[in-house]
Amino acid sequence: MATEIQEIDLKTDEMIINMGPQHPATHGVLRLLLTLDGETVKHVEPVLGHLHRAQEWQGQNRTWFQYQALIDRVDYLSGMFTSWAMARSCEQIDGTVVPPRAEYLRVMVSEMNRITSHLLWLGTYLIDLGAMFGFPFYPFREREKLFDLFEEIAGQRMMFNYIRIGGVLRDPKPEWFDKLKRFLDEFPDRIDEYETIVTQNPIFLKRTKGVGILTQAVAKDYGVTGPCIRSSGIPLDLRRTKPYSVYPELKFDVITFDKEGDTWDRYMARILEMRQSIEIIRQCIDKLPSGDIMGKKQMAGMRIKAGEGFAAVESPRGILGCYVISGGGEKALRFRWRNPSFCNLSVLHELLKGCPLSDIMAIFGSIDVILPDVDR
Amino acid sequence: MTDEKPSEAEKPEDKKAEAAKPEAAKPEVAKADGAKPADAAKPADAAKPAAPAAAAAPKPAAKAPEPVIPATAGKFEQFLKEHGIPAQRLPLSLEVETIVLSGDVLQAALRLLRNSSEVKLDLLLTISGVDSNDTYDSVYHLWSYSNLDELVIKVLIKKSDVAEGDLPAVPSIANFWSAANWHERETYDLMGIRYANHPYLRRILNPWDWEGYPLRRDYKQLVDCLNDKNPHSMR
Amino acid sequence: MFSNGDEIFKISRLTIVWLAGIFTIVWMVCWALGIALPMLLTQQLGDKAALTNEILRAATPVIAILVFIPINAMFMVLIERRALALWTVRKGPNRVGPDGNFQTAADAVKLLLKEDITPTGADAVMHTFAPILFFAPSVFGAVPLLAAVTNNHPLFRVLNLPTGIFFVLAAGALPVVALVMAGWASNNKYSLVGGLRSAAQAISYEIPLVLSLITVCLMAGTLDLVKITEQQAGGILNWNLLGGGALTGLNNALAGGGAKALATSYFMGPISYVCAGLLVISLIISFWLYLTGACAEINRIPFDLPEAESELVSGYNTEYSGMKFAIFFLAEFTNLFIVSSITTVMFLGGGDNPIPPYILNNIPGIPQMVAAIRDSYFCSTLHIINPETFFATLWVIAKVYGLVIFAVLIRGTLPRFRIDQLMAFGWKRLIPLSLIVFIIVVFAREFVICHG
Repeated sequence: MATEIQEIDLKTDEMIINMGPQHPATHGVLRLLLTLDGETVKHVEPVLGHLHRAQEWQGQNRTWFQYQALIDRVDYLSGMFTSWAMARSCEQIDGTVVPPRAEYLRVMVSEMNRITSHLLWLGTYLIDLGAMFGFPFYPFREREKLFDLFEEIAGQRMMFNYIRIGGVLRDPKPEWFDKLKRFLDEFPDRIDEYETIVTQNPIFLKRTKGVGILTQAVAKDYGVTGPCIRSSGIPLDLRRTKPYSVYPELKFDVITFDKEGDTWDRYMARILEMRQSIEIIRQCIDKLPSGDIMGKKQMAGMRIKAGEGFAAVESPRGILGCYVISGGGEKALRFRWRNPSFCNLSVLHELLKGCPLSDIMAIFGSIDVILPDVDR
Repeated sequence: MTDEKPSEAEKPEDKKAEAAKPEAAKPEVAKADGAKPADAAKPADAAKPAAPAAAAAPKPAAKAPEPVIPATAGKFEQFLKEHGIPAQRLPLSLEVETIVLSGDVLQAALRLLRNSSEVKLDLLLTISGVDSNDTYDSVYHLWSYSNLDELVIKVLIKKSDVAEGDLPAVPSIANFWSAANWHERETYDLMGIRYANHPYLRRILNPWDWEGYPLRRDYKQLVDCLNDKNPHSMR
Repeated sequence: MFSNGDEIFKISRLTIVWLAGIFTIVWMVCWALGIALPMLLTQQLGDKAALTNEILRAATPVIAILVFIPINAMFMVLIERRALALWTVRKGPNRVGPDGNFQTAADAVKLLLKEDITPTGADAVMHTFAPILFFAPSVFGAVPLLAAVTNNHPLFRVLNLPTGIFFVLAAGALPVVALVMAGWASNNKYSLVGGLRSAAQAISYEIPLVLSLITVCLMAGTLDLVKITEQQAGGILNWNLLGGGALTGLNNALAGGGAKALATSYFMGPISYVCAGLLVISLIISFWLYLTGACAEINRIPFDLPEAESELVSGYNTEYSGMKFAIFFLAEFTNLFIVSSITTVMFLGGGDNPIPPYILNNIPGIPQMVAAIRDSYFCSTLHIINPETFFATLWVIAKVYGLVIFAVLIRGTLPRFRIDQLMAFGWKRLIPLSLIVFIIVVFAREFVICHG
């Protein structure tokens, strides 16, 4: 009997679906070539490059001064970090000493930027999970407040160009710190509010618990960094493991989970990171020394000494590295970005294998990919 | 499959490079006269510093034949030499040890560096392709999950060694790190370094039918619809 | 407490303006066609007008529905957008017209003027036919509800069916075919997956939905919507939501029957009281089962998998544009309205006042007001309105739009299920629960005197 049943077994065909580049939930222009068996994913091939703007080429063809303004666009949600990575690598080559006040300001603004980035992720992740209309706009409310603060110091809301080679652009007024403190006082309550709506929501738990499990071996194999790998239990946080700037003087916890991370852990890691960022900013405000904020003269014909350097910062998405080769002229010989989104995205096909169609967005959203950061 | 495609893609590029050669000769003559700045239309020269003084100080990798070896030999260099792998240390660049390996020992060296109990360089940060003056470099940044070690490995391929119509070849390390897969694809795409035995070597950021390797110095875009001087321009 | 009190005030104003507009227009159409014109014709022509009058009377409800559905859908889209905006700290559409009142009218014009596209390789006939088949049931499915929600007004009595709820459910099951058709005919894989999902979902969730309604019909002993409504008259304790007549004895006792009324209804003593309690709990569970099933049936969040934006672009209506898309859109909101109406009729007493008459009639002023309306010129001479229908309609509007707003609130709160979780939830939770409730009701109603 058994053989008979096998013989008349229904034949099913695999279906190839082209998800993106114009798809409401691929965060821009990612294209996923999905091979589906029913609604189960058999194979995924991400097709990149729809947003390729030749950022590295532009780095070689623009002066240092011009290129500083461009790189905020590499990862438009965390422009402070891209500026910082470039500034650090150039300062390494050049031997520029950054004044301590500038370092503290850098930490402060970039932690603020981390919060805005995580807030946007939180909102869009809920959209990915299907809460199209309700919750996602709550994080945006707080994000706008932070952007108002950014606007005061940088003149821009998203493309800051605030951290420059040698220091920071502008010294905030004393009132700015008061506003920031006021924000920091109310923000933990807001995070509690998000958690009330989301963290214990049964549908949210069902959609995220045990979905998209990233094991430590796979994470190490693919060079995953940032909250993704920390939620898998590897405490790789550059701010602590390879401390740079003034992070050694600041107290904060590295958020790790003891087990293999699923999408819920990645969500929780980001929520907890935002709380840590609040503490870091508070300490920065308290410890902020007075003094100069710029260690190198900013001018159009700025030059960097010959040499090569690699510097990395811990961006909201992971290790953001910048490899610069300078010939001593007005322009770089080679700019090379190590983008966390690019590396984190490469693990996607491992995570998606065998999951249902609905989970694609739950998993893809949870690794927090910014497509301009992937495609450069 | 992967071995055929690059060579096919190379043919038109090669003709183009030949076409570009006479042009390339002109600015050099001009530079010898010492008067004219570099021709702006040529990206390779635009990247170079215009002043002769700056041109006299090229980056260290360009002087690869005779590197100044520091007094204390590097930790990783020694380690590799102990295991019989010839490694050559470049002058200190920002206190990070930089060693030059030849392509055929790359696999063995990385296996050692990644798996041995003494050094655990198990975090591959990035693979970069660099077009130096007379070499193509494939640069590997290795970090460790467990300690603070950093290592930069460079594989240099002399441009003179690369045959006409061929791509500089470096063994792929995608069998060690899956992370290397996309980085190598990107370097192949933008710099035209062929990674031998790569599982899926095809363009990643540019379209699959793109011609040429955009980050090379002699790259010239064939069809540039926004450039008026281009005969193929759509304007 | 209300930091956005201004917005709340604006939304309330918008709602009142729109509702007054909608129902005045619809009611005037009904009155002109069904009452005023026949009266006029009879005056002028005498007996010769009898046939014309019959035709006019029969046509009135259908025309009323056809007038009502588009305006109502426009209002519902607007109130949904405004309400969602209120709950998501945004402004919502507030530019076109005062308070953004005409936003959806502008949208409708835009949709009608858009190019109608049939994709390459699509089955053109089925592609065109699908939205029609999707929309038609919501028109004729609404018909039997009319008599029930207007307190059996003579104008709509013609359309009442003895098996009303059966007809409504049958009509409500049809759109699934249209969705599968739309998905299949679009020549788009997303559409196909959306259509198949909608079929799977509808099959799974129709069972608890129908079982919960059967429970109510069992308590009522009839399928006639008007009778079910009439049984529930007399205050909140009579509603099917609270036991389907299990509390009627209590109601009678409070109304003045005393212990005797209790003894009549709960004739078995303590067993009857326990059973009455069971019935109340069961019917409340049935109510939630119905709401859940209905949410899935009309593809609202959290069950909007057939058109999950973040997964399937827009599911079955990905390839639709212009007029066809407008019909889909219209039908979706009409379905929401119909589902709310069914809930109102089956569980919330239709047009019944939640305050029982023995309290209401003792409030000074209320009986006089009703009498004044009845004696007024509009009512007695022109027959524009009678107080029973007027108050019933007010209550129905309040209940139905309350449920609509509740659905909007759910949409603004919850993420979406995954398809396997949806199936598991339907088959492993809802269906067993509805069967258990059904069996409890079958036995418990033997020990209590209920509606049926």
